[in-house]
Amino acid sequence: MRSKKTPVGVALAAGIVAVAIAAFVAGPAATSPKLGMGTATTAKCGLGTGKKATGKPILLEGIFTLVPGIDFTTIGKLAQAYFNCVNDNGGINGQRIVYKLYTEQLKPDQIAALAKKIIEQDHAVGVVGNTSLLDCPVNHKYYESKGAYLIIAGVPGECFGTPNIAAVNMGPRYSNMGAADAMIKLGHVKGTLVVSSPSAGGIAAYANGGPCLVAKAAGLKCISDAEDLPLSDTNATILKLVQEAGDGGGVIMDYTAETATALLQAAGQQGVVDKVVWGQSTPVANEATAKVGSANGFDGKIYIGQEFNNLATGKPDETLMEQLSHKIGLPAQAFGQMGYLVGKFVTNALLSVKGPITFKSYNAAAVALKNQKTDILCKPWYFWKLKNHLPNNTLPTATYKNGKVVINRPCAPVPAVDPLVLQARAAEKKFHLNTG
Amino acid sequence: MHSLAMLAFGRVGWTDLKPFIPLGFAFGGIYALAGVGMVVLYRATGVLNLSFGAIGTAGALISWWFINHTGVPDVIAYLIAVAFGGVVTLLYGLLFGPAFAARPPLVKTMATLGLALVLVGLMGHLAPPLNASPRFLHLPSSDWRYRISGAIVNWTEIIAFLFAIVLTFGTAAYLRFTKLGTAMRALANDREISATLGVPVRRVEAAAWLGSGLVCGAAGLLLADQLNTLDPNTLTFNFIIAALAAAVLGRLRFLWATLAGGLVIGLVQSLLNAYFSWPNFDQSLSAYRTVTPFVIATTGLLWLGRRRVITVARSGN
Repeated sequence: MRSKKTPVGVALAAGIVAVAIAAFVAGPAATSPKLGMGTATTAKCGLGTGKKATGKPILLEGIFTLVPGIDFTTIGKLAQAYFNCVNDNGGINGQRIVYKLYTEQLKPDQIAALAKKIIEQDHAVGVVGNTSLLDCPVNHKYYESKGAYLIIAGVPGECFGTPNIAAVNMGPRYSNMGAADAMIKLGHVKGTLVVSSPSAGGIAAYANGGPCLVAKAAGLKCISDAEDLPLSDTNATILKLVQEAGDGGGVIMDYTAETATALLQAAGQQGVVDKVVWGQSTPVANEATAKVGSANGFDGKIYIGQEFNNLATGKPDETLMEQLSHKIGLPAQAFGQMGYLVGKFVTNALLSVKGPITFKSYNAAAVALKNQKTDILCKPWYFWKLKNHLPNNTLPTATYKNGKVVINRPCAPVPAVDPLVLQARAAEKKFHLNTG
Repeated sequence: MHSLAMLAFGRVGWTDLKPFIPLGFAFGGIYALAGVGMVVLYRATGVLNLSFGAIGTAGALISWWFINHTGVPDVIAYLIAVAFGGVVTLLYGLLFGPAFAARPPLVKTMATLGLALVLVGLMGHLAPPLNASPRFLHLPSSDWRYRISGAIVNWTEIIAFLFAIVLTFGTAAYLRFTKLGTAMRALANDREISATLGVPVRRVEAAAWLGSGLVCGAAGLLLADQLNTLDPNTLTFNFIIAALAAAVLGRLRFLWATLAGGLVIGLVQSLLNAYFSWPNFDQSLSAYRTVTPFVIATTGLLWLGRRRVITVARSGN
């Protein structure tokens, strides 16, 4: 005979299981703020409410170069992590951001088609974060015709010399100029400065031209070198660069981390570290590359034109950037700082929009940005309606020490031997763009 | 005399060329190793293995993984890479060799390209770029360095060079003096007749697949160390193009010619680095060093074929 207690027992057991499952899903009672809510030492993402945004999506999209030897998608991934953090903290007044990354393989027709797709087919509210060797030169006129104002991480000259694009970084040309300036003043380079950049996308002439201006102003000879990527023989390439510079000369390697790290290793293997003064643009300013550099004898012997303040400073924006990097499984690095800044400034622009967020209202807000403070940059950032944009034109220089990146020269202005630098400084003074 | 030497070397001094010589012989040795492996396999099976580079690269990546993610001693990890090359190549030969045996050489070659693409795809998926912390495979022999007449030489470079010579010598002797080697040569001449005469065709082919695969695994380790990269695309295509050029110079038959071809390709490609200012900095010869395998292979083939008689027409009906 069936007991009357059986249904009660089953219900009780089911209730206990349900409570257990609910407790498991809910997790332990929150004892610390969620990521992005902001603390004394960590910045907040957007509104920092800790509440998930569930409102109408705001579509943002970006284009990134991805070819063997060059991978800029890290910047987009960090920007995406920032936008996800914003969504977890109230979104843009309740609306959530949807950020989509497109990759390109250095084909101009593909890149042109992507820009059209983003604006005319996908109807994205903003084109943000683009980091590409060809997007600015191929598409800048199209963006101008559509009234799109892009906040990006720039590489070629058109990312800095056109009215509708403002980069959070300074790009290889100015980063190399900072490195060259430090190599000459602190490293005492003699004779010849060699600047080596990738040949892809025709970037070498632009990237190398800036440090060559610095070298010539200091009375040095300058050799511009362009290498096809991926490098077929890093050992021979490093020997070649050292021979070009001559004993006591300087070599600036303007490569992303995967190529630059191989070159540092090759220099150590070939025993040429002490023959020249070394310089490098920003991408090697991270702990993973520092370990390789230190292991191969580069401690104190390399001058890295670091477009941003150092990693692991413990300051609010820097700390949040590192937490976001860790969350998506990436090491903290300069590319992460770029992605973070794109996310931060785009979010600030979106939050400043009064009324509906549309393509027109977002882009108007983006170009109106000025005095954007962050501990990642030496000076506040700006967009503003200008013929060209170099808002990030002050940089520290770093070197390696015991597997870490350490600053060997604090924030110093990029030498004023380049026309864009002079124009940017004049605009800053006139419109009070980065006074804080 | 000094002026004549400068003129002979295109106004680049001997001091500038010296550092590139050990590098050139090291790479040449690796290309020759791979080339000899390809030639032996081609002679025994009629298959030109285009997956050589991908297999060697995959082996190097697997070795890296063992060294960095397990407690396995480095030496064991290197042996795993070599074994991987042998096993994968052997498996391919056993599974697909008989199926493609009667097909034209081009079909057999294209099938190996399929294997290469599968491996490159798998490597791209399982070992995506790590950006700020790229992978390296550093052989301990590269830390044992010497300065010889102004050039830095390390033991990996010496091993690569000597291994190529020893392997070529050993393989030539093996093919000439051993039963299995003789059977391989017989297969190369005529597969059908050899089978009719009782040569164990499948066993001989399997031995060729295994042997060339083991060489491939070893060459992959050496190349990964010398190139300071474990990027799948860089290693795979660097490997296969130069090895193929060396094999072509040996006319897919002659081992010593393959060795010589590989060494010449490696040496010339390396020495061209010294011509960074000739004829001028903007358009220097060193910028074109990556085409060295193609140029040398094409020039070599044209030179070797210069006395061939070509019948234009026959008289008669």
